[in-house]
Amino acid sequence: MKSGQEKVGAVLVVGGGIAGMQSSLDLAESGFKVYLLERSPCIGGVMAQLDKTFPTNDCAMCIMAPKLVATGRHPNIELITNSEIEKLEGEPGSFEVTLAKHPRRVSSEKCTGCGICAQECPVEAINEFNEGLLPRSAVHIDYPQAVPLTFIIDKTVCIGCGICEKMCKANAIEYDQAEEQQKIDVGSIILALGFDEFNPEIKKEYGYGIYPNVVSSIEFERLLSAIGPTGGMVLRPSDYDIPKKIAFIQCVGSRDEQCDKSYCSAVSCMYSIKEAIIAKEHTEGLDCHIFYMDIRTFGKEFEDYYNRAQEEYKIGFTRSRPASLREDPETKNVIISYVENGEPKEEEFDMVVLSVGIDAPKDAITLSERLGIDLNKHNFVSTKKFSPLSTSREGIFVCGAFSSPKDIPDTVAQASGAASKASSIISSERGKLVAKREIIPEKDVRLEGARIGVFVCHCGINIGGVVRVPEVVEYARTLPNVAYAEHNLYTCSQDTQERIKEKVKEHDLNRVIVASCTPRTHEPLFQSTTSEAGLNPYLFEMANIRDQCSWVHMHEPDSATEKAKDLVRMAVAKARLLEPLKKATLDVKRNALVIGGGISGMTAALGFADQGYKAYLIEKTSELGGKVRHLHYAVTEENPQDELFALIKKIENNENIEVFKDAELLSIEGYVGNYKTKISYENLEKEIDHGVVVVATGALEYEPTEYSYGEDRRLVTQLELEKLLAEEKINPKNVVMIQCVGSRGESVSYCSRICCTTAIKNALQIKDQHTDAKIYILYRDIRTYGFMEDYYQKAAEEGVVFVRYDVDSKPKVEITEGNLKVSVKEPNIDEELRLDPDLVVLSVAAIPDPNNEELSKSLKVPLSKDGFFLEAHMKLRPVDFATEGVFLCGSAHSPKFIDESISQAEAVVSRACTILSKDYLEAEGVISIVNSDICSGCETCILVCPFDAIDKDDKKKAKVNELLCKGCGACVAACRAGAIQQRCFTDEQILSVIRSAFQEVEV
Amino acid sequence: MEGGGILPDFEPKILAFACNWCSYAGADLAGVSRIQYPPNMSIIRVMCSGRVDPIFILDALKKGVDGVMVLGCHPGDCHYISGNLMAERKMRWTKELIEKAGCDPRRLKLEWISASEGERFANTAREFTEQIKELGPLQKEDKEKISAELKAASKVVDESRVRVLMGKERELVEEGNVYGDKAAQKDFDALMKGILDDEHTREKILLAAKAEPLSIKEISKRMGMPSQEIGRHVMWLRHKGKIALHGIEGRSPLYKTVEVEV
Amino acid sequence: MLPTFEPKILAFLCNWCSYAGADLAGVSRFQYPPNVRIVRVMCSGRISPRFVLKSFQEGADGVLIAGCHPGDCHYSKGNYYTRRRLTVLGKLLEHVGLDPRRFKVKWISASEGGKFADVVKEITEDVKKLGPQNSLKRVDENE
Repeated sequence: MKSGQEKVGAVLVVGGGIAGMQSSLDLAESGFKVYLLERSPCIGGVMAQLDKTFPTNDCAMCIMAPKLVATGRHPNIELITNSEIEKLEGEPGSFEVTLAKHPRRVSSEKCTGCGICAQECPVEAINEFNEGLLPRSAVHIDYPQAVPLTFIIDKTVCIGCGICEKMCKANAIEYDQAEEQQKIDVGSIILALGFDEFNPEIKKEYGYGIYPNVVSSIEFERLLSAIGPTGGMVLRPSDYDIPKKIAFIQCVGSRDEQCDKSYCSAVSCMYSIKEAIIAKEHTEGLDCHIFYMDIRTFGKEFEDYYNRAQEEYKIGFTRSRPASLREDPETKNVIISYVENGEPKEEEFDMVVLSVGIDAPKDAITLSERLGIDLNKHNFVSTKKFSPLSTSREGIFVCGAFSSPKDIPDTVAQASGAASKASSIISSERGKLVAKREIIPEKDVRLEGARIGVFVCHCGINIGGVVRVPEVVEYARTLPNVAYAEHNLYTCSQDTQERIKEKVKEHDLNRVIVASCTPRTHEPLFQSTTSEAGLNPYLFEMANIRDQCSWVHMHEPDSATEKAKDLVRMAVAKARLLEPLKKATLDVKRNALVIGGGISGMTAALGFADQGYKAYLIEKTSELGGKVRHLHYAVTEENPQDELFALIKKIENNENIEVFKDAELLSIEGYVGNYKTKISYENLEKEIDHGVVVVATGALEYEPTEYSYGEDRRLVTQLELEKLLAEEKINPKNVVMIQCVGSRGESVSYCSRICCTTAIKNALQIKDQHTDAKIYILYRDIRTYGFMEDYYQKAAEEGVVFVRYDVDSKPKVEITEGNLKVSVKEPNIDEELRLDPDLVVLSVAAIPDPNNEELSKSLKVPLSKDGFFLEAHMKLRPVDFATEGVFLCGSAHSPKFIDESISQAEAVVSRACTILSKDYLEAEGVISIVNSDICSGCETCILVCPFDAIDKDDKKKAKVNELLCKGCGACVAACRAGAIQQRCFTDEQILSVIRSAFQEVEV
Repeated sequence: MEGGGILPDFEPKILAFACNWCSYAGADLAGVSRIQYPPNMSIIRVMCSGRVDPIFILDALKKGVDGVMVLGCHPGDCHYISGNLMAERKMRWTKELIEKAGCDPRRLKLEWISASEGERFANTAREFTEQIKELGPLQKEDKEKISAELKAASKVVDESRVRVLMGKERELVEEGNVYGDKAAQKDFDALMKGILDDEHTREKILLAAKAEPLSIKEISKRMGMPSQEIGRHVMWLRHKGKIALHGIEGRSPLYKTVEVEV
Repeated sequence: MLPTFEPKILAFLCNWCSYAGADLAGVSRFQYPPNVRIVRVMCSGRISPRFVLKSFQEGADGVLIAGCHPGDCHYSKGNYYTRRRLTVLGKLLEHVGLDPRRFKVKWISASEGGKFADVVKEITEDVKKLGPQNSLKRVDENE
């Protein structure tokens, strides 16, 4: 054992899906070394398989690819793919992990990812990535954007013919690679294993695997994908015809005791709606129909998505769980038998999609044994409400679907949160194991004429097999300013990097052009070579003659060669005008301002303190605690009051946290890294300097105007009920709870997420105190997602009666002769149900704080249409604002549970640490600059800038904040005076490129 | 499958590929010894029977030859050590393809004839001529169909993975693969059969969708195979850029073979 | 026989979606006509009408602009500017006598390699039929 050893500033992240990538990037950017372990050959996880994402219908690959690339090339992240954990020793702060590395049989150092091997491989095997719908070769990668872009030989199907070895010009094939062991030392561990899909074959009555036109939702996702087997056309498997009518069946392998999956998969309702919408968009005249038990669209703007699906897309919804499916042997259509309103019905569809549930990952049990962590009864990692990111073993954390089924934004928030937890225990080791940046002196080239070196790549035979590379080199030599040109077998190989450096010296080059593949993957490599050669990295330019030339004109060598020459000429035209760039840098004030002293704000403040940064926590009331002060019960065994006061005590005793009560934000100035804020508190004023801002202002409880609320003290809200229960002041015999008071269409259009579980929690509490109380819960859909479904079951078992009502016939509450009367119409029963309760509890909506508007203005951050704060990206940046340095968490983002607020608050700490941990902030290189001599001060640029990066200076001229500018160039195109230029993409450069597309440009 | 029945006046055209060192010499010996055999056979000299590409055979049949013989040295006698053994394996698969094209596999015959076996050469020629006479002319009324079928078969052989495996069979089965493992003959056969089936189906799909755009249902009707399987192949061909979506008729996408100008 | 007219088309693609889509067309080996020359910009919002005009002036027979689908923009709203700005430009070009088929604005995502190839095929075929573009081409004084 390594007991008593020093802490290690490294973290092991297990699982390379979106969660693992997010954790790794956060940690790597905040000064920690990361080992990212992935069982499969490449990272990306399930998200890489998705076509679009809800509720924005963003293209999954478009938004994920930048993260893939960033993870793959981060100097502080070591990717260990195709590997597993074998053994864990040591203690928190200093673990020793033994990894089993399975042979890849392709050298990751040598493989260039060109794919010739896969093209020539004679074997066709089942392609798991495409859900078996399109074959792949024995030597393969999962998807074209895979990271690492290293092929792998699947030994189980490889016949060992040796062809790939012969075809590979990079000599990357290594058949004799063996199993290896690697030992790594880390301070903490994050488990981000994700989930497995439920295998629908288990539900025999649905005929999956027997009827060809019954497919799983993930297979259907591949049918929707533009890079999927059908090229994005929805075709049914039996005859590849375009279906006219598709049914989706919900809850296949979730909310189903029969197949041992009692919990709800939390995402299936939304993904089915999404798949139905996308399918309709892809297919003219398609009918989509969803069979469901409850529609659970509880997330931010999910309810709108559901409404649009019904109204705009005319997707049908039937509340029924079909008993069985059968096939018409003639047409292969599928007939669904179901019961609606008590009547058995049948309907025929061309195709049926089974919305499969979320299973614990298949290696959960083995891994939990090896690591010594507890799983819950569903084989997911067991966590607690007030520590949702911690496992039962200290130093090991969990995030994403591995602790409970969840969607991408919740997963990403947890991933950041887990990164914060994992680094807080080793915060003393920050910066100790990360790659040190070497500073290479740069040659000043500003006064020299351009001397360009052109390196044209054969890429084995990928380019050279089509384009006549030597001819392109000859041509390049004739171009003005080209001082040197040569061709290489692989320009990206290690020895060519050395060669480029030599040639730069030998020929006194001051610009470098590589004509090869795409800058999207290879520009950073060549830029660092340029930099190592003593030139500013922005003196580099690329010509894409593979992906956009040789590969797409394989049968036209003449035209392809001409095109390659054009592309080189265009690159030369640009390179000639390239200028060295220095990235602006700025100091960071290493402390945080947290607005809001509820559970989210407190968690964030404590998180900053644990990371070693000072936090200023401002609370508008005279007490910390926020809404949780009013919570007396959790649906789990924890006591919210005990937990809350323990937390408040920690906050008040922490010297890194300064709390201001009765506080108000007076003004805030500055930008990321450097804010100056004035606050007033307890009749005093104070100015605070800080580097980041956190919005944790929570939400409010809706005050109902309906159901006669306020007219009788026996009409209470759930929060009021909780207080009465805690004070043991009531003895109810007959309770009616009404759900969706205010939510889902009345006062607010969204679902308030927490009310179903809260009602059930309080119902169980009443039952606990008064066993014989009769409780009715009147609902529209019960939305106890994830493991909260278990409490729904429990309530039903304990005799709580659930009565559904339709939105157009809401329950009525009357007070006649001092008695409460509730009547409700259950849609399946003709008669109205009349109840005589002695207590009516209203589950009221959570609504945004009206003060949000003012705060949003002073912080220059947007609000959503519902009035909550709007994050930078719904899917992948749930706690960031588009404005750098400002973050949000908790119910200010949208209504949420305690554990979800805590996860987001931890996430904020992690995201903010990527700023606070820096010695200095560095701007992007490719940014906009204003020539104030020309600027007329018209403010058009200020209007179009998506990042609020442009302001006016004292002379009323536009001024770009270099730290906030992300380099999109929208302002440049908008400027009517030509006063703004984008570095690396100046008008002069682009116009010269345009010109050179047609002719040689004179110098 | 083609029908039998001997036509009285039928004089078949037969082609024989003979290796330079044994069989060609054997044929010469037959001549020197004045051993008579039917005049239907033309001999093409190759240096080794291993040189005989299955495409030669399929092409010969397509061009109007009624039967093909491949003649090589006896096992162990090959001038190039193992060329004849390679030929033996290749011919086995070629027969399979001939059958797939709807022709009688007996139209191809492989024999070992040494330089001293003039007599045996003549006998073989006689027997084979008789055999082909019995089978009748290859291209009778459905000339175009057979020719198209044979062309599809020769395209199958032209697929690089088929060539690779045909070329590597002996090595993989007898000597071991890159991992040093030997493949059992029956496993190899199953693999190869599967590949030939798939590639043949794909070639036939391409052939069918060459003249006019077709739906998957229509292709499967014409080929007598389930649409599910045809569809799987069409998706693959589309993925490889060999077939393209042409339009949609009713609910059925139509596909047309992509003709590459090289 | 006259040599067939091979048009030259300039394509301005945003780095994050459409340029990636063009790369994917390559990785997937989707073949398309070799008439397009791609200019990469970080965001379609960077594309100034000036670039389009300059391209036609220099003799481009067609210009293609492609960015992320609405809502997918890496810079959150750059492509909305593109849409507005280039709609106006398109009308203007039509007004001065340029055939609208020579100027296309498309949304192509990083996973739509096939769509990129199809769009290139479409514009190339259209422009081939239209013949060389002369309405905006600069007249060289030396000629």
